[in-house]
Amino acid sequence: MVVFGNLSQFAALAFSLLALVLTLLGVMRNDARLARGGARALLSAAAFTTLASIALAGLFLSDNFQVEYVASYSDRALPIFYKLTAFWAGQKGSLLFWAWTLSFCAVLTVYSNRRDADPRTTSYVYLVLAGTLSFFLFLLCAVTSPFELLSFTPADGQGLNPMLQNPGMVFHPPTLFLGYVGFTVPFAYAVAAMVTGRSDAGWIRKARVWNVLSWIFLTIGIILGGQWAYVELGWGGFWAWDPVENASFIPWLASTAFIHTAIIQERRGIMKVWNMVLILLTFTLCIFGTYLVRSGVLQSVHDFGATGLGGYFLAFTIVTLLGGIYLIAESYHDLKTPHVLESYLSRESTFLFNNVILLALAFATLFGTVFPIISEAFTGNKVTVGPAFFNMVNTPLFLLLLLITGICPLIGWRKASASNLRRNFLRPAIFGLVVLALLLGFGIRHPYALIAFSLCGFVAATIVLEFVAALRSRDKQSGESFWSAGPKLLWRLRRRYGGHLVHFGLVLMVVGITGSTAFKQQAQGTLKRGETLQVGRYELRYDDFNVYNKFNRTIYGAQLSVFNGGEPLGILETQRRVYVNAEQPTTEVALRTTLRDDLYVTMPGIGRNEEITLKAAVNPLLVWGWIGGALMVVGGVVAIIPERKRRIAS
Amino acid sequence: MKRSNRKILIGVLIIGLAVGFLIVRGISTTSAYYLTVAELKESPTGLNLGAEETVRVGGDVVADSIAYDQQALRLAFELRDQQNPAATIRVSYAGPKPDAFEPDVEVLAEGIYRRGDNLFAADNLLVKCPSKYSSEEGSK
Repeated sequence: MVVFGNLSQFAALAFSLLALVLTLLGVMRNDARLARGGARALLSAAAFTTLASIALAGLFLSDNFQVEYVASYSDRALPIFYKLTAFWAGQKGSLLFWAWTLSFCAVLTVYSNRRDADPRTTSYVYLVLAGTLSFFLFLLCAVTSPFELLSFTPADGQGLNPMLQNPGMVFHPPTLFLGYVGFTVPFAYAVAAMVTGRSDAGWIRKARVWNVLSWIFLTIGIILGGQWAYVELGWGGFWAWDPVENASFIPWLASTAFIHTAIIQERRGIMKVWNMVLILLTFTLCIFGTYLVRSGVLQSVHDFGATGLGGYFLAFTIVTLLGGIYLIAESYHDLKTPHVLESYLSRESTFLFNNVILLALAFATLFGTVFPIISEAFTGNKVTVGPAFFNMVNTPLFLLLLLITGICPLIGWRKASASNLRRNFLRPAIFGLVVLALLLGFGIRHPYALIAFSLCGFVAATIVLEFVAALRSRDKQSGESFWSAGPKLLWRLRRRYGGHLVHFGLVLMVVGITGSTAFKQQAQGTLKRGETLQVGRYELRYDDFNVYNKFNRTIYGAQLSVFNGGEPLGILETQRRVYVNAEQPTTEVALRTTLRDDLYVTMPGIGRNEEITLKAAVNPLLVWGWIGGALMVVGGVVAIIPERKRRIAS
Repeated sequence: MKRSNRKILIGVLIIGLAVGFLIVRGISTTSAYYLTVAELKESPTGLNLGAEETVRVGGDVVADSIAYDQQALRLAFELRDQQNPAATIRVSYAGPKPDAFEPDVEVLAEGIYRRGDNLFAADNLLVKCPSKYSSEEGSK
């Protein structure tokens, strides 16, 4: 199996390099046959990457601990499900998984271009894909192979980090990788469009679909990461502005910006240069993020350590960035568009401002993340910034972005008239103000919360009112009932309403984040049996303590009765777990989620006489953040399901 | 240049300036020095630490210095420099002992240093997880 895996890996690299050479010759000699050969070599590389991945999965399942990677991340007691997911628990397996998803994307790209009339464009697309794939396969074969053997066979492996034995951690890494990897394809299309000079609408449509798809996966990955941190790490939050989190958030921002301006290019044929810049930025930021995370230059809770891969990723980042800038500069004349924006009161200009703010967020986040490196280089002292910095800088920007999210769909293309604005804005603005008045009436004085909730009201109202108005006008024509027409309209104009769903999800997410951060209540204390701890509207009574074994862990559980003003709400168990093969106990959060708030309890300590230390928090509205996140993903999916006929531009 | 474009440009400039302002203000009010124990004790020249200035300090927990009062949730221990074990500071932290807090682990503390008492009052404590995967077996 080891030999098989190794051979597959090398064969994959060989075919990937072959694809690189063939496509390169193909474009130099303008020979369609060479390009087709390149595509076939790419498919073979994908097949061998798949075989290598199967081999590694097989090694995990068969407990082959002579393989260093398997011995490091698995053991006999590990449930079979986690044996499979241990595949991407460490760096080497992650890289193989990365290469595999990239090769899978390449297969999809080849398939989707099987009837493409323009072999020159596809050759360049395959060229970029083969180049990137070769880079990853080279790292796997030459620098950090998952099939490396130990000089002896340990009796058992060292086990999977208990914190990774959680369903959220199972899907978080692969979705994040899919997001990262997917951005290679729009980048490849962009390069092809620039080199061939065919920077018309055709490529941007393909690039958009791939970009939205990758965006969906990146969004899922980021949200699952947040959820994992929330239920598993036990510090009570879901986002800490850690460098690793930022590394996924920064490309997400750039890609979101592209999704918006791609629409303008499709519709109006302008902003071509800008879109190239955004695609290049998204892709480079993914690679640069990987460099930051894997090089050990930054302090992070995700301790990947200095792994020796940093240099390769940094080099790859620089090559792509310089190459991309060169291409954009070279094709600037082809790309430059004569159109200008007709008016600052137009949908185009709101898209532009949306872009400026998204990139400002990306810049501020990147700046804060690398600030320790910058300060050390210039002053010799390491100066760090923490969550306080990011919250201070990014919160106002986010609120501005939310405002624009509300304005954008209401404003016409090209040039909006004053009456158009008055008609569309009056009711949502009133709704936002009503929300504000209500909150003030309830005695809420937190400035950011007031602004955020009012804006949420405003944006939600614009989305709902627009949909209702569209339904009404359709109603009159078709005579269909209001309720049966709704889903039909959403489906028929799924690209538009998919986008609106994403925006609505964003609103809910802001509600969740604002509620749980601005109005969080916390308490901690050490209790004997029968004693209670009050947190927010809840009372926790410590009833019982149990020790028992389950699967590969010993559980120390404390039973707590939950009351709200004397009324019993049920029992929670908060745990400390000691896993086989792990020296340290881990905290298992007890969580009671309602639409109104989350009750979040951890037990950081157990005393000799079974007195327990509890940390409890009430996080209002938090669940809406998760619901909003799910809605964003659903909206994204709705938006990329192909529409049969292209709608005539209104 | 068309007038509408100029207005848009002005808008973009305003946002740019606002972001610049936010970043500068953010850095000046929230940034903190990241120091080793030895650096904190010496306080290198050019580093004017205010008496109440929050800093981050990293070091290893001295093995037999840990005192934890579970009832009052107070943790006290000594932190030593990773390169120069002779340099130590006392740290006090009000809160539950973190999960992975053990003798000799690397800890990142955030708080205020009182030079007179050689006492670091931490209001945030982060334990760097010792990578158990690079234990003796793996490196044989």
